Amino acid sequence: MKKVKVRAIDVNKTFGSGKNKVTAISDLNLEVKENEFTVLVGPSGCGKSTFLYLVAGFEKPTSGKILLDGESITKPGPDRGFVFQEFALYPWRTVLGNVMFGLEIGGTPKATAREKAMHYIKMVGLEGFENAYPHTLSGGMKQRVGIARAIAYDPEVLLMDEPFGSLDAQTRKVMQGELMKIWEEMRKTVIFVTHSVIEATYLADRIIVMTARPGKVKGIIDVDLPRPRDYTGKKYLEIRKKALDLLEEEVTKSLKIHPKTN
Amino acid sequence: MKNVPSRSGEWSVLRRMKEIRGKVVRLFYFLLPLLFIAILWELIVYFRIVSPSRTPSPLQICLKLYQLTTPKPILLNNLFESLLRLVLGYMLGALLGILVGILTGISKPFYRAFSPILSLLISVPTLAWVPLLLVTLGTGDETIVFTIFLGGFFPVVYNTMNGIRGIEKQLVWASRIMGADKTTVFFDVFLPGALVSIITGLRLAIGYSWRALVGAEMLAAGISWGVGHMIYAARAFSDVEAMFAGLVIIAVGGILMDRLIMDPIERRTVEKWGMVKER
Repeated sequence: MKKVKVRAIDVNKTFGSGKNKVTAISDLNLEVKENEFTVLVGPSGCGKSTFLYLVAGFEKPTSGKILLDGESITKPGPDRGFVFQEFALYPWRTVLGNVMFGLEIGGTPKATAREKAMHYIKMVGLEGFENAYPHTLSGGMKQRVGIARAIAYDPEVLLMDEPFGSLDAQTRKVMQGELMKIWEEMRKTVIFVTHSVIEATYLADRIIVMTARPGKVKGIIDVDLPRPRDYTGKKYLEIRKKALDLLEEEVTKSLKIHPKTN
Repeated sequence: MKNVPSRSGEWSVLRRMKEIRGKVVRLFYFLLPLLFIAILWELIVYFRIVSPSRTPSPLQICLKLYQLTTPKPILLNNLFESLLRLVLGYMLGALLGILVGILTGISKPFYRAFSPILSLLISVPTLAWVPLLLVTLGTGDETIVFTIFLGGFFPVVYNTMNGIRGIEKQLVWASRIMGADKTTVFFDVFLPGALVSIITGLRLAIGYSWRALVGAEMLAAGISWGVGHMIYAARAFSDVEAMFAGLVIIAVGGILMDRLIMDPIERRTVEKWGMVKER
């Protein structure tokens, strides 16, 4: 039995108050196991990104708590890494500067930081681009920088918020493959948020399907398939269908609840 | 990859030549409409459509500019005196403006306390302060420098504040999760993140400071040098040419400061980072 790394206990999160009150997450309970690749799937607006923000410590739960190694999360910290959908790179730093930033903050000597950062830049396939500024890179390359930056200072948990959501379909597929290679190499605990079941089934050890807003756990699917996975394999398609069926109910529901948001 | 420095010398020479050629072309397009207006104006005066004693022609103004520099460098003395005041007042306005702008941009209580005051004061024309200052600070340099300060301070505060407030939350979050403390967030996220706006503020402030300077120099009776003073004193002799000469100096001075100081800063920072469009 694997150790539980992140545990959410009766988590509620509401935004606004009075008439404008929106419940993003209600009574969410879930467990993320150490060194596993966990993917959260849910209809848009189901609070899956909000949950990731709570784990990151960017936002605080309205009630309930989230534990990391049994300790309540109160604020952001370098035991976690975050990859944003819109990259959130620093335009005034080069690729190397972005990837080194976390190491610099942690007080790693410059030369060592540089060396380590270069290692991760190579890992994500950006060797030769270390002195380029982000605005000169394509979306896929930007997200490679985003990933390298988030793992360069060796956090224990990697949080990924629809990291390939703003990439085109081709780039997305390539990035999924590369992420798998990187993950096999480092084997960190990953919480990955997406609304794509195809992506979830390709990447995950466990898929957690969430309900429409307010977000709860709808079902958990263990994906016991060897990697790299075949998008057309029989077992793969079976699991994908299972996840899709779970999700479809919720998507229909969310369309009924929030006709305008879709 | 335009940001990866090229290793080959030949290429950089070629690129340098291209840059220079670009600059010349740009200067040409900048001067073309001005030249057109000057010729038109010259012709209007030449054919006596307006009187040359009331409206001097561009050539007359050039001649006056020359006379004002030789044998005695009257114009330069005036300009030097004005620039001293400008630098002092502008620096004060810029530094304090950036500081207060950052504080109001970062801290909610500061914003609540300061933004109503700011919106009130920003609509007061700088020159409206001058009579008051003449009484409280006297008719000398103090009043002029303080007026320049006021002229530069508000656009810098306002733009800096908005620059800070406009920084994407995710950029701050990204640094916080990597363990950044407040000082790091300040210097590595807020400051560079707001630089586009800060530079805009500093740019506007140059214009406002010039205006404030010239206006205050006209109203302060206790000084004997300064471009504004020169223009105003020329009134006593109906020396229209000297007035125009003063206007030319002010316009050229303003644009030179913008191009010589602000442009290089912008090119080396926000333009290189792709945060504003290259010109």
